[in-house]
Amino acid sequence: MLNIVFYFQVHQPYRLRHLNILNARTAEDYFDNGLDQIVMQRVADRCYLPANQMMLKLLRRFAGKFKIAYSITGCAIEQMKLYAPEALKSFHDLMDTGYVEMIGETYYHSLSSLYDIDEFLEQVAQHKKMLKDEFGVTPTVFRNTELIYDDMLSNLIFEEEGYKVILTEGADRILRWRKPLHSYKNYTKDIFLLLKHYKLSDDIAFRFSDPEWDEYPLTTEKFVNWINKLTLSEQDDKNLFLNIFIDYETFGEHQWAESGIFKFMEKLPETVLVQPNLGFCFPSEVEKFTNYQPESITVPEPVSWADLDRDISAWVENEMQTNAIETLYELLHKIKQQNRTDLLRTARLLSTSDHFYYMSTKYFQDGDVHKYFSPYDSPEQAYIYYINALADLEEKLHENPHETDIEEEKPA
Amino acid sequence: MRILMYTWEFPPLIAGGLGMACYGMVKALLKQNVEVDLIIPTREAVYFPMRTPEDADTLPVVFLDEKKQEEFDKKTFEDANERFHYIGITEAPETYKQVEEITESIKQAVEEEEDVEEQDEYNPGYEDVWENIAHHLMGSDDIFQKVQEFTLRAERFAKLLEFDAIHAHDWLCYPAGMIARKISGKPLVSHMHATEFDRAGGPGNPNVHNIEFTGMTYSDYVIAVSQYTAEMVISRYRIDTGKIRIVHNAYIVDDNIEKCEKRLFKGATILFLGRITLQKGPEFFLEVAKSVLEKHPDARFIMAGSGDMARKIIQRSAMLKLRNRFLFTGFLNRKEVDEILKMSDIYMLPSISEPFGIAPLEAMAYGVTAVISKQSGVSEVVENAYKIDFWDVPKMVKVINDLIEHPAKRRKLGIAGMNEVHQIQWDDAATKIKTVYQEAIDEFSKE
Repeated sequence: MLNIVFYFQVHQPYRLRHLNILNARTAEDYFDNGLDQIVMQRVADRCYLPANQMMLKLLRRFAGKFKIAYSITGCAIEQMKLYAPEALKSFHDLMDTGYVEMIGETYYHSLSSLYDIDEFLEQVAQHKKMLKDEFGVTPTVFRNTELIYDDMLSNLIFEEEGYKVILTEGADRILRWRKPLHSYKNYTKDIFLLLKHYKLSDDIAFRFSDPEWDEYPLTTEKFVNWINKLTLSEQDDKNLFLNIFIDYETFGEHQWAESGIFKFMEKLPETVLVQPNLGFCFPSEVEKFTNYQPESITVPEPVSWADLDRDISAWVENEMQTNAIETLYELLHKIKQQNRTDLLRTARLLSTSDHFYYMSTKYFQDGDVHKYFSPYDSPEQAYIYYINALADLEEKLHENPHETDIEEEKPA
Repeated sequence: MRILMYTWEFPPLIAGGLGMACYGMVKALLKQNVEVDLIIPTREAVYFPMRTPEDADTLPVVFLDEKKQEEFDKKTFEDANERFHYIGITEAPETYKQVEEITESIKQAVEEEEDVEEQDEYNPGYEDVWENIAHHLMGSDDIFQKVQEFTLRAERFAKLLEFDAIHAHDWLCYPAGMIARKISGKPLVSHMHATEFDRAGGPGNPNVHNIEFTGMTYSDYVIAVSQYTAEMVISRYRIDTGKIRIVHNAYIVDDNIEKCEKRLFKGATILFLGRITLQKGPEFFLEVAKSVLEKHPDARFIMAGSGDMARKIIQRSAMLKLRNRFLFTGFLNRKEVDEILKMSDIYMLPSISEPFGIAPLEAMAYGVTAVISKQSGVSEVVENAYKIDFWDVPKMVKVINDLIEHPAKRRKLGIAGMNEVHQIQWDDAATKIKTVYQEAIDEFSKE
């Protein structure tokens, strides 16, 4: 039996303005609300609303035989409330079917696990609380920002109540001779690992509408045929997991509706479910379906799902990125030390990984992707605006706050 | 006295400091009853006859083509900008002829007048000065084409207009000045605001060097904007010392400057303001910042401006882990420059080679304490500023640390500098320039 595990990532950052040190005087001014609104509304129209409508139909039609999971960041939820409440409602409708699982992550989609463990745990707790408040659920599956994972993450998440599974990238260098189709465990902690099948995931996420691709156009039948072939290699009746982990924005935003991406997905459950040895499951069901002793794997250096390198170099490779992120966490530390709750939220919004992604100077194939997602003309510009924000924020830290200025942290 | 003046910049057509210098100079000359027929790179073939000081602001215009003049006279313009746009001031010349064609035309224009003057007096070492200048205008860059266009047009002005002497600013206008001299038989004063060595921070473009050399050699007088520049003209170009005159630039202080108490940063703010290019020494600013920040982490270094080295400096500042203490603004408009000067404590000009350098005067006018490179012309005219070799990073660090640690001293020096800048007037410079004109005219009439 092969279980297809669908997990979709939903995230939108708060984008920094073209921030000049001369005009940055209030923290609210740092972020380009107008741009965020435009993007959120566009993505809601092109992706969240039509994709959720499609999923809702499919989930109802197959009544439990088709299941999917989402991870939605706190930033995305906040922005939906502000700019596209109908999109948020459509996610609630999905949850109400009972065939959707919510996954835990950091509230701000940050890289804090690599830089500040206390901050990381606080952001994880904040996201957990948000899921409880918003959807009334408590996650048992964790995915770190951009599927970043190393052994240390298992240690941290293991100590957190409730988590049993972590999702990450099925990078070749951690799997080596192994397949991403089995469930794995961390080598010391009792945490299951599900590894993304990057070939089949990226076929949908990146290659789907590429006319240069040998397999273009990708039909549902062809895709399911590939999946079927995967089961042939398994002879011991071991249950397999095909982990398709993709950005939700793949539907309608990265791959336009005209590409046929919605039709592809719409036909997928029925095409899969007529096969006797194929099915769907939640990531949290891995323990239930694992009918063998999972191998344990060790990941000393962080992996991620980004770029060809599948490491953390998309965010912390060049010197601009390193200086920026180190400065942020030093400042965040000072803000907490001085108990400046009025500045904490701003600092945390600046911890969102996208800010560092925009500063990437990678070339070739990956650079195109970085450029596509960036609201700035160049990595240097992104760096300048970011550092300006940190300089201004630090200046506010030096100012003695008037009592009336102190506001408790509150999400927008 | 009437001067035919060629310059590449004049407000509103400004790219660097040349435009503002020409403006201050021309206005002061007009006050001293020197009339100026100004020619700048415009799309339409026009010149600007200036007779009163106000003309430097209003720019009265005359078309060479009578029909066009009639059309222009009939038109009404909503504002000055619309009028400038009509003349094509803000745009580059639209049509360029083929390089060879223009070069040939320049030669022909000169050859027609060939019998007027003897050939070799002003071109030691060159058999044919015209062949030389035409040859060196054969650059592949757009700028060379523009210069060719401008030079070709210069001939028409020189034939048509009445004047006593010719004044040409920087290499871009030297060929035009030379043609005008050849055609009119009037003396030529060339003005050296910046040599190719200054601009390039190294050897630079050999074509430009040759135009600079030939132009100065062919001139009757060469005005250098500083002793520093004069020495370069002598040592690098071997120009006859006897015809070099030094006239320092001046600065028109805006009377509306108010030093405001609003600060950007609690810590001392140290400013670099200018193009981020090799000549301006941005790397030295960065080195100084690194050392100063080790002692005074609360200080903030701001690099304002844009330029070809910006990326490199941004990346290097990150590499040195200067955190959020080394900041960039990108290109600033006039209003933003005003703001940032008001909020700065120390201004640094670490230029590798600065023929004059007006920016420190501007900073001083705002009461900002200036630390300037010794390799600059401006260091010859101000007293109340620190003057340090651009490469002497330890000394710059020492001075800036000292200024940060002693704010009272810093403020005192700032005020002294502000008062000093008010004394540096274009009127004095214009008097000197007028004397150079007079000398040239007198010598010519003797011959």
